[in-house]
Amino acid sequence: MGKKMLNLEEQCKIVNLLKSSSEQKSIEETVTDFFTNSKLRHFNVCYSLSLLLQDKMMLSSTERLVAFAILHRSYSSQKSAANPFISFLVNAACDDGAEKYERAFILQLLSSSNSNSSKEFLKQSASDYIKNFDPSSQNFPQREQLQKQYFEKVHPEPYSCLLQNTAVKNLLADPDVPCGCDANSAELDSQPGAKSKLGSGDRDEALSGLIANLSLEGLIPHWIRPVPPRFPVDEELVWLNPDNSHELQWDQGMCADTSRGAAVRDLIAKALKGALAPNQQEQVLVELANDPKLVYHCGLTPRKLPELVENNPLIAVEVLTKLINSPEIADYFTVLVNMDMSLHSMEVVNRLTTAVELPKEFVRMYITNCISSCENIKDKYMQNRLVRLVCVFLQSLIRNRIIDVKDLFIEVQAFCIEFSRIREAAGLFRLLKTLE
Amino acid sequence: MDSRDSSSAPDRDCSAGDDDGGLPVTAALAKEASLHFQSRKFAECVDVLNQLKVKKDGDPKVLHNIAIAEFFRDGCSDPKKLLEVLNNVKKRCEELARASGEQMESGSSSGNKLTLDSKGSGTTIQQLSSDSASIIYTGEFDISVAALNMAVIWFHLHEYSKALSILEPLYQNIEPIDETTALHICLLLLDVLLACHDASESADVLNYLEKAFGIGNVNQGDNGNTATHQSTNLVGKSSSVPSSPFVSDASSSDLAASVNASENPLSRTLSEDRLDEMFSTLDIGGQNLARPSGLASVNDHPRITVDRSISGVDLKLKLQLYKVRFLLLARNLKLAKREVKHAMNIARGRDSSMALLLKAQLEYTRGNHRKAIKLLMASSNRTDAAISSMFNNNLGCIYYKLGKYHTSAVFFSKALGICSSLQKEKPLKLLTFSQDKSLLITYNCGVQYLACGKPILAACCFQKACLIFYKRPLLWLRLAECCIMAVEKGLVKGSQSPSDRSEIRVNVIGKGRWRKLLIESGISGNGHVASVEKNDWALGGDGQPKLSLPLARQCLYNALHLLNCSDWSNSKSVLPSNLSLEESESCDGLSSKNPIHKKLPGINSMASTMLSGLVNSNGDLKEPKGGANPEIVQNSVSYYEDIRRRENQMIKQALLANLAYVELELDNPLKALPAAISLLELPGCSRIYIFLGHVYAAEALCLLNKPKEAAEHLAIYLSGDNNIELPFSQEDFEQWRVVKPVDCEEPNGGAAAAKNPSHEGLQESMFLKPEEARGTLYANLAAVSAIQGDLERAHHFVTQSLSLVPNSSEATVTAIYVDLMLGKPQEALSKLKHCSHVRFLPSSLQLSKSS
Repeated sequence: MGKKMLNLEEQCKIVNLLKSSSEQKSIEETVTDFFTNSKLRHFNVCYSLSLLLQDKMMLSSTERLVAFAILHRSYSSQKSAANPFISFLVNAACDDGAEKYERAFILQLLSSSNSNSSKEFLKQSASDYIKNFDPSSQNFPQREQLQKQYFEKVHPEPYSCLLQNTAVKNLLADPDVPCGCDANSAELDSQPGAKSKLGSGDRDEALSGLIANLSLEGLIPHWIRPVPPRFPVDEELVWLNPDNSHELQWDQGMCADTSRGAAVRDLIAKALKGALAPNQQEQVLVELANDPKLVYHCGLTPRKLPELVENNPLIAVEVLTKLINSPEIADYFTVLVNMDMSLHSMEVVNRLTTAVELPKEFVRMYITNCISSCENIKDKYMQNRLVRLVCVFLQSLIRNRIIDVKDLFIEVQAFCIEFSRIREAAGLFRLLKTLE
Repeated sequence: MDSRDSSSAPDRDCSAGDDDGGLPVTAALAKEASLHFQSRKFAECVDVLNQLKVKKDGDPKVLHNIAIAEFFRDGCSDPKKLLEVLNNVKKRCEELARASGEQMESGSSSGNKLTLDSKGSGTTIQQLSSDSASIIYTGEFDISVAALNMAVIWFHLHEYSKALSILEPLYQNIEPIDETTALHICLLLLDVLLACHDASESADVLNYLEKAFGIGNVNQGDNGNTATHQSTNLVGKSSSVPSSPFVSDASSSDLAASVNASENPLSRTLSEDRLDEMFSTLDIGGQNLARPSGLASVNDHPRITVDRSISGVDLKLKLQLYKVRFLLLARNLKLAKREVKHAMNIARGRDSSMALLLKAQLEYTRGNHRKAIKLLMASSNRTDAAISSMFNNNLGCIYYKLGKYHTSAVFFSKALGICSSLQKEKPLKLLTFSQDKSLLITYNCGVQYLACGKPILAACCFQKACLIFYKRPLLWLRLAECCIMAVEKGLVKGSQSPSDRSEIRVNVIGKGRWRKLLIESGISGNGHVASVEKNDWALGGDGQPKLSLPLARQCLYNALHLLNCSDWSNSKSVLPSNLSLEESESCDGLSSKNPIHKKLPGINSMASTMLSGLVNSNGDLKEPKGGANPEIVQNSVSYYEDIRRRENQMIKQALLANLAYVELELDNPLKALPAAISLLELPGCSRIYIFLGHVYAAEALCLLNKPKEAAEHLAIYLSGDNNIELPFSQEDFEQWRVVKPVDCEEPNGGAAAAKNPSHEGLQESMFLKPEEARGTLYANLAAVSAIQGDLERAHHFVTQSLSLVPNSSEATVTAIYVDLMLGKPQEALSKLKHCSHVRFLPSSLQLSKSS
């Protein structure tokens, strides 16, 4: 559970280290032993030691000295400022509540980084150091001075999460002692062989337990992160209804008479060349009326439309009316609008306007073409004739409200003025005025 | 069709490629084959066709009919193979038509008449058409029947988008196609569109059907028969309303007279008819515009129904049922109620089971569950296995809505059981394929499992349903919910059980005066789920989907993508333009809107202005005046689109909230933050989701070392300095539905449960109550204050929080933290000891483990 700071090897190493501190080995030797032949993660080891050191009761005085020595040694190859525990060390050195020998020891450790200073003090064992310590020999500099000396330049803080930076030590002392007892009393330490008293406990057991369980993370404030609610079921469930039985269809067109409407096809082909006789015309119209699909088979294409319009406008009207829902109708309109102006084409358009809904753009464009055709025509007689036609055509469109005069007002007015000599143009002009 | 042809031109050669003597032989054989087919003697039919094949080698229509007949002869066993054959027939037709078209073109350019050319006769090829997809070959090379049959197969195989891709071009070019085929195309298209929940296209086809097949005014009064008469008379009626603004008979002769053109009475009577129709439709629509707004309605002429297989009343009933289904889809319940009544009238004395079933669906949708059950019981003939399976499914739906999840589970699994026994039967009809609704029922099962808190089973169901629903954002949301729930419940490898997640674990180390408590960090499960595993969309070894938070994230992204896709095309379809055609086609499928109606009348810009006028004119549902079908339908469509938009908004809120949550769980605040911010920026966001958005955003910001900004997100709930308001109310939960069941008729029981299934619901009530949400805000504000170093404030907030959510281990930890920071270890200790969610672990256990 959680992330353990130390692996088993590291735990053993630390326990042994602390044990050996009480022996008569020199500090130097103890520390060197600790670092030989191991793949210790320095930071994790040092961090756990620093956690243990923070609890003043947990470690014995000799153990503390050795632990401080480790904290320092782990990073001694670098500048002191690079030691992540430098502020911890400096704080410990300035801690007025701490033992004088401990503070002096840390100061000596810190200054030993300079190559010329003596490392003699490490040649003795920890207990000897304490025994031989002379408080008068050591002066304790101010915190600011130490900080200046060892922090050198401010180390840029590596990125880490603020939450982690604000973590508090997640270790709480919870002495289990009878009321009124002093939890710090050494009497409560279990003595070997003695009967255990209420509230007694074994320090070593607690220590190894701690070492085994320390984790890198401290205690941080926690967020409540609500799980989003499940989306409500509204119209989500599938209600089933039987499908309509769509069956496969037999193609009735197989071997059917493919020449359907051949007569009409013949007549339409003729109609492209010249006017049909009245009875022929009648036949075409009747056959087209009888079979609504025939118009799609009658052989007419947009390209052929102008010939049909010129020769048989009424048939053209009928065919176009029937094709009005065909996807091709736009092509027919395009052809119609672009063909030369003539009585017949106007006749066709006029009849179409009353028969079906024509696209506005088409009607507009057609009128514009009419007007410009009138202007461009050279032959005076033909021009007069065409202008009269256009005027009648326009009047018809306006009266039938096929066009909205406002759309074309200026254009049509200009046209009327230009050809005001023609009676029909004047009439159209008057009509425009009444609508104004 | 053949009979009409032969009567109109009885003395014409039918196959010019044959000898003179070939004519009667092939025609007779074709007729014989057709008769065999109609009497379902498929083996004989195939024999005759094979004789025909010898005479007309390579004729695509013969090949087509052989394929169809053989398919039936062989018991409809291999629809895929039939599809392949039909596709070849179609290709062959197109090749032949192209070849003859070239011939014809070269002929006409050299000035020759080629209309009676042996191959080219009867074909028209659209040379100028800009839209290549719209080319329809008529006559001999008509592929519409083959295409229709392909679509029929795709439809029965539930491959709706494939069916659509065939049907849409046919529908856009429906005019030249003969009536029988055209009717089948429209009906099938309508079914496909309804299955795809495409209301606006359905409306279009429905309108077209009613107009073109002369059954337009069905709801003009309840007497079903009059409508048919009216519609047949429609064409012949002469104009009796000369005051129409469009009619001016005098003027049309005016021009003719002045230019000395011969007056033709035909064109006049024609125009009167036309104007009469035009006038009647416009008058009903109540439009006062100078020009009629419905181009389609003006220019559509009723088709003469020639299909002998569907009688007039049958067709009328059919269309009426389609209309009810459309209205149910569009959730226009009021109209649906009226129309279903009308359908019942038409169906009197006939098979009314479908009408009853739709009525049951209507009552179910309205929340009248008991009535729905009664109708359902009355409707079905449960001896038919397929029907019985649907019946059970529908009962399952009703019981789910009643909050009786376990009963509904019984019905769903019964429905599924019947389905699987159906599958074992040898398919005798193509319908058998489409009757297999198991995937749809499986989806329902998934919803039900999720409601019962069984995420793994639910995910299995959703995964299967994925085959048909993969384009539905909601499916992916549900899968993500499965993942989140599975992780929450500790059902996923690496995740903790729910009790572990909310537990504060404390190691007790040492004894006596040396006793220490070591609080483990990380009570919530963040980061504890193995995210390293590669999460393919694959089953685990045991056939179960591997649910995980990364998978949840993937699902949520899928859903968001689909949603954005459909949002986008929705917005386009409101203002159709030529551009949107291409664009929306690139985003194909169920969610896309392929605007058929914009193409149909040929001139796009024209149609689009008309349409936008209709859409914008009025969003509400008007009380219909008799027979104004297009308007009702159009209003229903815009109402439905509103609902869809709202629904999509709601799904989007849920998606973003879930995404922010999942990213936080995956230790990814950098991605959680934008998700939470987007959630907050959504228009019309529910207050519940706004609360979540702020909470998630704040946590993400804090993890990103921006506690100040984090605090701002939480501070919006502060009134005064130290008091937090309720972030949402209980009503917000009730409003948190797309459509409220409006006119419930059942005063007690069913209706009450329908309004608020959460009373009986197991999971819906799992979310925070408003007071708990308030406590959450206090706790989080305490955390952020503590991080900022404002311990006094933190202490205040966390105390408030613990009074609202005393069981929250997170709040307890924060409280302990604050105590420790304030140097009050004794208070921290007592909090720890009084918290119900603490587990003390003896250290001996730890020691024995580690040493």
